[in-house]
Amino acid sequence: MELILNFNNVDKTSLPQVGGKNASLGEMIKAGIRVPPGFAVTTAAYQHFIAETGIGDAVFAHISDLDVNDVESLNKASAGIQELMRSSAMPEKINRAVRENYETLCRTCGTDTVPVAVRSSATAEDLPTASFAGQQDTYLWVLGADRVVERVKHCWASLFTPRAISYRVKNNFPHEKVLISVGVQKMVHSKAAGVLFTLNPTNGDPSKVVIEGSWGLGETVVSGSVTPDKFVVDKVIMEVSEKTISAKHIECVYNAGTGGVVEVDVAPDRQTRCCLDDREVMELVQMAKYIEEHYARPMDIEWAIDEDVTFPENVFIVQARPETVWSQKKKESVIGKKSGYQLLMEQAMKRIKIS
Amino acid sequence: MADEKAGRFPDPHEYQVPPELEGWEEMYPSHYLFSDDRKEWESKQFWYLDKIHAPEPMPPLDQIFQEAWQISLSQYTTRVFCIPPAQGIAQRMVGCYMYICAIAPPPEEIIGEKAALFEKRVFYVFEHYEELWKKWLTKFKALGNEMAAVEVPKELPKFVPEDQVLPAPRGYYASYDLMTAFDKLANLMIKGWQYHFEMLNLTYLAYLMFGDVTRKLFPGISESAIGKMVAGAYVSMFKPEEELCRLARVARTSSIVSEVLKKEMPAQEKIAELDKTSEGKNWLQEFENAKDPWFYVSCGSGWFHHEGSWLTNLNIPFSYIKDYVERLERGETIERALDVINKQRDEIVAEYRNLIKTDDDRKAFDDAYKTIRTIYRYAEDHLFWVEHWLHTIWFSKIRELGKVLVDNRMLDRPDDIFMFNRYEVPEILTEVATGWALGVDIPLRGSYYKAKAKKRRDILEAAANWNPTPALGVPPEEVAEPFTIMLWGVTTDRVKEWLEGMGEVKGEDVSEVKGFASSAGVAEGPARVLRMLKDIVKLQPGEVLVCPSTNPSWAPVFTKITAAVTDIGGLTSHAAIVCREYGVPSVTGTGIATSVIKTGDIIRVDGDTGAVTIVKRA
Repeated sequence: MELILNFNNVDKTSLPQVGGKNASLGEMIKAGIRVPPGFAVTTAAYQHFIAETGIGDAVFAHISDLDVNDVESLNKASAGIQELMRSSAMPEKINRAVRENYETLCRTCGTDTVPVAVRSSATAEDLPTASFAGQQDTYLWVLGADRVVERVKHCWASLFTPRAISYRVKNNFPHEKVLISVGVQKMVHSKAAGVLFTLNPTNGDPSKVVIEGSWGLGETVVSGSVTPDKFVVDKVIMEVSEKTISAKHIECVYNAGTGGVVEVDVAPDRQTRCCLDDREVMELVQMAKYIEEHYARPMDIEWAIDEDVTFPENVFIVQARPETVWSQKKKESVIGKKSGYQLLMEQAMKRIKIS
Repeated sequence: MADEKAGRFPDPHEYQVPPELEGWEEMYPSHYLFSDDRKEWESKQFWYLDKIHAPEPMPPLDQIFQEAWQISLSQYTTRVFCIPPAQGIAQRMVGCYMYICAIAPPPEEIIGEKAALFEKRVFYVFEHYEELWKKWLTKFKALGNEMAAVEVPKELPKFVPEDQVLPAPRGYYASYDLMTAFDKLANLMIKGWQYHFEMLNLTYLAYLMFGDVTRKLFPGISESAIGKMVAGAYVSMFKPEEELCRLARVARTSSIVSEVLKKEMPAQEKIAELDKTSEGKNWLQEFENAKDPWFYVSCGSGWFHHEGSWLTNLNIPFSYIKDYVERLERGETIERALDVINKQRDEIVAEYRNLIKTDDDRKAFDDAYKTIRTIYRYAEDHLFWVEHWLHTIWFSKIRELGKVLVDNRMLDRPDDIFMFNRYEVPEILTEVATGWALGVDIPLRGSYYKAKAKKRRDILEAAANWNPTPALGVPPEEVAEPFTIMLWGVTTDRVKEWLEGMGEVKGEDVSEVKGFASSAGVAEGPARVLRMLKDIVKLQPGEVLVCPSTNPSWAPVFTKITAAVTDIGGLTSHAAIVCREYGVPSVTGTGIATSVIKTGDIIRVDGDTGAVTIVKRA
């Protein structure tokens, strides 16, 4: 079993080794969609880590008779496991593999220390209930091989947050069966970022792509901490049918001083400036159409615009998952079985209210 | 607008026009005036300014087209095809501007009777459209040829020619010919307009139906998307331009011909020069062959005598040909790929269709689409034949009569005949005929008519500087008349906009105008306001065209401009179609662009939102 798999060598069949998020990124790369490069630390690496360090028994001992409704014990058990996992040394084989792959990524990006996002990618993420997603950690703007190795361990440990433990217990999902992979992906130096839907989420109109975006990293849009700019685009005739520019008062950016991501105020004159230009909007719509076609279903997509790269190479897709709300609705005819003449007769009888 | 209350416009019987317009009432037929006899009915209706057919003050004789369409449009809805809840559109004149009103639905029992007739008559038309169109075109061409053949006496002879007397007297003479020529022309025009609406009401109804179906399937679909699915590039509207391209290619086969055509000189001089060589003569013959019908195209909408046509302004087609010859020399393609336009339309339709989720809906969509596509080309084809070809013939015939009146010292210039309405012209002609019949040295009232023509020109000029209220009377609760919705876009929003009083805003205070986002993209540049096509020579490459409306005679302009803005026209208007094709942003149907934007203003045209912003005043 491979410990590391480059995103280029991953697709939807790789889910057991690399988890849902990584498999999806690999699938998109394979389909020719512009996704930032990176690699997956596989579930085999996680298993190797548990086996090599011999912490398995200690971990499961913490939670074998745990009452998850007892918040205090739950928190205590979680903290114990996470501490145990973080403090255990990374087995040399994995350590070397992660470092080598990170260095290769740096060379690909033409820099010594490329900033990366380190994210967990669980194999159980495709459970019917979507809420399992996002329970593992994401670390943005990680710099240097040492930090990457450390954050990979933190991601593994995030499998045992109090919420994750309690969720599995409540859903009768055995802890031992849940495996985790970690994605290490080049960080987009995002000028603007956000989400998009390949249908209009407010009315289900399948002929629209709806884009929401704001300055900086996409976190502000996902969390709802700003009112984003909104674009509704007809994906057939490629015309913007609605464009709302909002005052985007804060943005998430990388802070070199603290080495982390911080929320900062946006200068007043920049707040009401549109975060995407027309070409970028259209490029996103093209990509959205392509992704929807590839997956043959409506999709929910995260995107980012890199400020270090020129158009169109600056437009990246960072995540894509199936849209769940409208896709699950029963497909009912809205017009019914009617001939052109019946429809004409109906129209002829119509009166339009105008006041 | 003194008594404007919330929710209602001035009462038509109380509304005052500026004193400079004094005497305007006598310019129009008396049934066009708001009157005490009909006060009760008139006060209850909603009258709005018809900016599509009467964007400018109405010359009295040009009023004939309005009179003709009021009857024709209405009768097809009420008495011929019987659109059940709809009635006709009534017209009134106020201070040289025309107001129109969609009449409220008839009583329920009439609606029921009409519904039965509608089913029987309308579905038949859709089933037999192709053959009906062929019949329509045949009879319409015959009508135009009949009109062109109406003989207008060139002069009233001192004595009637011998052959009209011997061997057997003809029995009627120049006096009769003069009086009846106008009657024939007027009657043929009325008849042409009866034909005009033969299938138009149904076309609009089908368009509204298809729009409704697509809006149900795709709730946020734009008007422009619906327009793109339905509209095509049809033969008649694009043919004049195609013929110019063809003539340019023919010219390229002879360097003698193309050198003459490239010269900077008036068309008449070019023609004289071409006529000196055999190659030139051949080319002129080609030009003559193409002329009727394709260069019978108005330089404007076709609704006003003063717009002129390619026939009366040969410099226009010749300047286009010059441009095309030069472009061919540079190796450029000049023809527009009409099949590509139609192919793109089919691809768009297929793509929307693929998004439909259920088989029933897909079937209904296909059926609705087939219904509108069967008939839609009528909306584009009839326009060339009626408003361009037939109107051009008519104007030229009427000018012949005008010339007779000038020769008989009744008018100062031939076009003054348009200062008299269609009930007054027979009176002038009769006076001339009478004078001729009475003998020599018979006084005529030339000074009376000359003075009247001058006064009316002054009134029209004063009216052009006046901004009449957008509407009169009480807005109705509902509208069923298809033209009102589709052509004039009368909706709640539009009525609200009017109520907010566009009429009171001074042009220079406006910084943004809105219209239909009819061709996507954003562009900024200096505005060039062109009210008449003949001013087109002033247009510089890179400017934004701002004009009342465009038609095929404007087509060659679109390669030079960065964006287009029109006062009139929806998403399937000529300007919208051509701009989309050239990828030039456009906003159409703003209503007021030519009055608030001045040449040289820097404007930004947003073809995605329909906004035109005045960035910097000149």
